[in-house]
Amino acid sequence: MGEFKVHRVRFFDYMPTAIRAMAFNSRTERLALARADGALEIFNFADNYFQEKVIPGQDGRAVEALCWVGQRLFSAGLNGEITEYDLENLRPRYTVEAYGGPIWTISSNSQGTLLAVGCEDGTVKMFEILEERIQFQRNLDRQKGRIISLSWHPSGTLIAAGMMDMIRIFDAETGRATHRLLVERGVGASKSKEVVVWSIVFLSDHTIVSGDSAGKVQIWDGVTGTLVRTQLVTKWDVLALSVSNDESSLVAGTSEGTVVQFQFISSTVGQQDKEWVRTRTFKNHSHDVRALAHTETAVVSGGMDTQLVVRPLLDKVEKNTQESALRKMTLPHRSLVCCAKKAGLLLFQFPDHLELWRLGESDGHGEVLKQKDHICCSALSPCGGWLAYSTVTSFRLYRLQNNNISITKVSKLPKDLRSAHQLCFSPDSSKLFASSSHSSVIVVALNQPECKYLHTLKPKSGSRQPVHLLFASEDGKWLATANTDCEIHVYNLDKLKLHCTVPVYSSCPTAIAIHPTTSNLVAVHADQQIFEFSLVQKEYTEWSRKLQKQGLHSLWLERDTPITHVAFNPQNPAHIILHDTFMFCIIDQSLPLPEAKTPFYNQMTLRSLPEPQRIIHSHAFKICKNFQHLMCVSLLEDHSLVVVERPLLNIMSQLPAPVRQKKFAT
Amino acid sequence: MAKKQRGKSASSSKTADIKQQTDHFSLMLESSDDEAPEEVTFEDSKAEALRSMKQALDTARREKEQLKEKRRKRQELFQEQKKRKLLPADVLEEIDSAPSQTQKQCQEDAEEEEQEAEEDEQRKKKRKRSGKLAHARNLKGNYTVQTAKERESASFQQQAAEDFLQSRMYGPGSCRTTSNELLSLQNKTGRNKSAAVQFVKKDWACNEKAKAEKLKKRWVHKQQIPSC
Repeated sequence: MGEFKVHRVRFFDYMPTAIRAMAFNSRTERLALARADGALEIFNFADNYFQEKVIPGQDGRAVEALCWVGQRLFSAGLNGEITEYDLENLRPRYTVEAYGGPIWTISSNSQGTLLAVGCEDGTVKMFEILEERIQFQRNLDRQKGRIISLSWHPSGTLIAAGMMDMIRIFDAETGRATHRLLVERGVGASKSKEVVVWSIVFLSDHTIVSGDSAGKVQIWDGVTGTLVRTQLVTKWDVLALSVSNDESSLVAGTSEGTVVQFQFISSTVGQQDKEWVRTRTFKNHSHDVRALAHTETAVVSGGMDTQLVVRPLLDKVEKNTQESALRKMTLPHRSLVCCAKKAGLLLFQFPDHLELWRLGESDGHGEVLKQKDHICCSALSPCGGWLAYSTVTSFRLYRLQNNNISITKVSKLPKDLRSAHQLCFSPDSSKLFASSSHSSVIVVALNQPECKYLHTLKPKSGSRQPVHLLFASEDGKWLATANTDCEIHVYNLDKLKLHCTVPVYSSCPTAIAIHPTTSNLVAVHADQQIFEFSLVQKEYTEWSRKLQKQGLHSLWLERDTPITHVAFNPQNPAHIILHDTFMFCIIDQSLPLPEAKTPFYNQMTLRSLPEPQRIIHSHAFKICKNFQHLMCVSLLEDHSLVVVERPLLNIMSQLPAPVRQKKFAT
Repeated sequence: MAKKQRGKSASSSKTADIKQQTDHFSLMLESSDDEAPEEVTFEDSKAEALRSMKQALDTARREKEQLKEKRRKRQELFQEQKKRKLLPADVLEEIDSAPSQTQKQCQEDAEEEEQEAEEDEQRKKKRKRSGKLAHARNLKGNYTVQTAKERESASFQQQAAEDFLQSRMYGPGSCRTTSNELLSLQNKTGRNKSAAVQFVKKDWACNEKAKAEKLKKRWVHKQQIPSC
């Protein structure tokens, strides 16, 4: 098989940020997630929960709430601004000041015409949603406390607002507050603290459900303004509530990390009188759950422990299938590590700075970039001479010299190169490729000490989605790009025009690479399918057809993290090296493909078998699970393997304080 | 009865109860005088004390509110005077006739429309930059109007909101522990027990360590002085 010298790298101190808010768009099946540093992520729930898009954060953009209006995404934060995002160019489209102080919540009516925000100064501000912008319409009656949460009645005529110690019901047309529901404070020591109604839901039968800081979930009658039921769910706060579309199930997230489900059912079977009954409790988080979304079939939760958990409900999906498995998304679905193969350098991308390390030494360079905008993408040239990174608004190129002791900034950059979603250097470090708006790629020539604009490559399909994957072939002839519309285009760099387009597959590509000698494009998709496409013949290769016909092994398809990097072995052209978060795999194309019934992870057993038996039993997929959690696996020029790990324990030990739970015998 | 201030409701009901009790006692005593007089006086004085305390609190509160009112009125007066000093009357009229937020918002939108020709980023930057000047209007080319509220106060409010959130979630009374403790518990109750994640507490006795360092430096310096 092969032995490699492994550089095991564990000094990438990547720290994911806490999840602050989320919103699910059931029509497009996309989940939007806002993190504490202002970053926004879009997950495609229909495509194996792939993290399609990431909009980097910004200092000071403290997002508190998210809201979908059709295909448009709005956020509101403590900086008092409402932001609409451009999901095709991965940046904020515009921001509108609400002039009400910090904004705590944002919600739109079911018709999608009005946007209501709850502000610190006690006003609920209504904005009209127009074609290209939003416009302030009016304030509702100003209240004496801050508005923490809002919920529209599905008819769009009433709004329930959760404040301190009380809930107010507003008439959306007149703006008058009609009812005031007083929320009881906690018992004991918390009686002196005001109770905060963190979350509120207005159902179509005029029932209001509220979750507050005293740990109660209360059910109110919105018509008479009376309390129907109180349920003490936790000793700490109930931070988030979410109701399903058909209003039969409700989930509440607590500071303990539990998610409690309530269902609208009758307590005895067959009877008509339904009520909200507490049914299930999920404990999938170690820290506070601050954001919840209830989809058709699952409960999605996220919070201070930075993991996104999707828990399918077993009464909506079939048990013991791939569909019903618990999914946890911890690390990003894209590579944050760039490896300069020839120079033995590693570039680590953090939100606000980059770190450059040399393998074999223990100290490295840390470049701290004091910028408000966070870094979108970064790249290091294979020779280690150039470094480039891009934020939402700017682009920087640096020249590294004297074994990267000196870093000089290249000042004169071409005008067209303003910001990029993805960057890639050519293997001979003579060109830089930057993905720009609407699936186009800008080609820039690097002649020291300056760089010159060469060309813009555009696909024929006219897709407006951004390119998230770039790969330049070793011989400098081809450039492969993939965008979130699931298109893969290959350009001929000698002629600087489109060579071919790979037939579109329904799942988004997560990693692409071009073989150095055979010029075959290998593409791995979010649903774990692998394709190999010959660029010379413009068709799928024989091996790829064989793989498709036989089908991939079920254990391969059941993996829940995507492949983020594909590499090749110069010593053995039949090898393809892939990795995801929990394993790295070497596919040997010369060996037979595994049958559905054969044991898939058979590396350990093979070692114990004698030689002739080993040949009979070995199959193409050789998987190694020694290293976890993997952030990058790359092959250097001297045939040693670089494995960048980020153990989950290291992340967990740096998380903020969880609640103290007294457990028996501890 | 229900709409009293929460903090006071407990004590006021208590005083009401005690008052009723003392009335009861005093009535009873007039009839028989072999009751121990201490009980009554204790109750009475307790009631008196509570009443006077309540009165004191009430007067203090009233005074505070009065002061607040006075301060607010004075502040408003100063603001008006300042505005009057800075601007001629007709400009003031224009401002006065457009005090509501709607107007400010519409101005923003109007500015936005004017700048439609410019590029996306530049527009964003301009609006961001004009965040300071967004409250500024050029009237008759000679004067600029600026509202008193500046950008600094906006970030102050943001900080205050973040502090509120921080204090509610991690402040006193929130019953929190450290991540290290959580991991230790998991380790203790787990199947494979291993070393603690944070084996050495790096920030243990850091003050003492710093003091010791300083003393050491001073001692070394002292030792060197007689030698040179």
